[in-house]
Amino acid sequence: MPLPTFAPSSDERVIAGVCAGIAQTLAVDPTLVRLVFALLALAGGAGIILYLALWAYSRKMSVWVAAVLALVAGSLLLGALGLSDRSVLGIALIAAGLALAWRRGGSFRPDAPLSYGGVALAAVGAVVLLSGGGTSSAVLAPGAVAGALLLIAGPLVWRLALDRDAERTARIRSDERSDVAARVHDSVLQTLALIQRHANEPRRVASLARRQERELRGWLYADQPIGDESASLVAALSAAAGDVEDLHGVRVEIASAGDCPVDGPVGAVVLAAREAMTNAAKFAGVEEIDVYVEVTDEEVSVFVRDRGSGFDRSAVPADRRGLVESIEGRLERAGGRAAVVTTPGGGTEVELHVKRSAS
Amino acid sequence: MKRRVVLVDDHDLFLAGVRAELGDRVDVVGQAGTVAAAVALIKELDPDVVLLDVHLPDGSGDAIINQVAPERPGVRFLALSVSDAAEDVIAVIRAGARGYVTKTISGEELAAAIEQVANGDAVFSPRLAGFVLDAFRAGDRVGGDAELDELTPREREVLQLIARGYMYKEIAARLHLSVKTVESHVSNVLRKLQLSTRHELARWATEHRLI
Repeated sequence: MPLPTFAPSSDERVIAGVCAGIAQTLAVDPTLVRLVFALLALAGGAGIILYLALWAYSRKMSVWVAAVLALVAGSLLLGALGLSDRSVLGIALIAAGLALAWRRGGSFRPDAPLSYGGVALAAVGAVVLLSGGGTSSAVLAPGAVAGALLLIAGPLVWRLALDRDAERTARIRSDERSDVAARVHDSVLQTLALIQRHANEPRRVASLARRQERELRGWLYADQPIGDESASLVAALSAAAGDVEDLHGVRVEIASAGDCPVDGPVGAVVLAAREAMTNAAKFAGVEEIDVYVEVTDEEVSVFVRDRGSGFDRSAVPADRRGLVESIEGRLERAGGRAAVVTTPGGGTEVELHVKRSAS
Repeated sequence: MKRRVVLVDDHDLFLAGVRAELGDRVDVVGQAGTVAAAVALIKELDPDVVLLDVHLPDGSGDAIINQVAPERPGVRFLALSVSDAAEDVIAVIRAGARGYVTKTISGEELAAAIEQVANGDAVFSPRLAGFVLDAFRAGDRVGGDAELDELTPREREVLQLIARGYMYKEIAARLHLSVKTVESHVSNVLRKLQLSTRHELARWATEHRLI
């Protein structure tokens, strides 16, 4: 069994720092520990011997030296309490036997070998104690036996409790692992399989990879359940961007400052932004589209920008409803505004703004 | 003269990819995959620019900067990461990195970013600009220097345009400024980011034990 350890304190020591070291380990006032040792020292000098024992132990000297010293200290203490020498000897033998058994891990691991020496020693001690006769041992004997039983059973119970804790931790961990495994299987492995199948279509591979990346990112960093796009504006725009990437083989970079839930007017912004991204992907002739979302206390703004061919608004046929209806009209109905800044050859930027509903 | 660059990333596949993409545009003098190895290597080689992953097996990128910067003040750091978490990115920037770009950047853009950083300029990707605007946007100040804790309207404007995908040149044209002025606005933002006592930034930094 791993014994609890402590280091003698060099900062606060009075003699060798044993009391201060123990106090540090137990997080109590050193004076309290010193008081205990002082009182024990009055019990036939047991405190002094015990101090030496702990000092030897903390110095990583032989455990046996410490153990023997501790036994002597215990014996002195019992002697001081008025027990007969015989009882003291019996108890010391039992203690030594138990210590020996514990050192071998006898009562702690079911698979550890039982220390026969330890058990024999404890048995001899019990015999000495019980056969001692006299009044003191008659009172003491049942108590000593019960104490010994407790000392053997206590660690066992303790160990079982630890085992149960460890088991629970392990179960939680394995649950987590299977959750991750399921996630990886559902998304990443599927995508990798698709990528292998489409290895000779670079655009498709890139878009698959980006979609997977977006999804994984959402899960890892944003704590968003995948597929729950109603929760946040940025998540909804990312999903829209992912669809546009898939459909048109472009890259959509999203930057954001702030986020908000998607309610009525904000929903209109998402739909309009999606339309703007689609337009850029279809007509601008570029590989990359930049989207920036800004949410302030008063307003939600989305900017969709490309560095593509741009266009002349007056030259757009009147029956092309995308811009007028899906973007400008939609925003107007939601109480917002849209602006399209474009020049032929100079790229296009669509700005969408709506006031946030008072909430 | 080609810039001497050290790559720090624990993904070999990615390192090989970056090397190939950069080609002979820069001189990659070394690479490392852990904080400990990187610190020793950078001190030894004294490169112009270190390309730094935000997460490494034995620590985070800002640990490298904190250990190297006092001895090698001339070395510039550029964070290169897939990490989307704003606080990680902000932590590396606050430690002293001159910019942050995402790993999907093209080789050409990366080489340009390295050159900018080597010249002492700041490199803000749209994503970083968004993070910074977010961090400076709301919330309470924890005392300190008000000038450092707020962005000027012009700086805000410049950052917003970066977030919207504009390059320095385009921003300069749009705001009728010189490219140099735009660069100095961005450098100012970087300085504020590193020195500000703003609540959000301070909190992020504390969580990452920078203070």
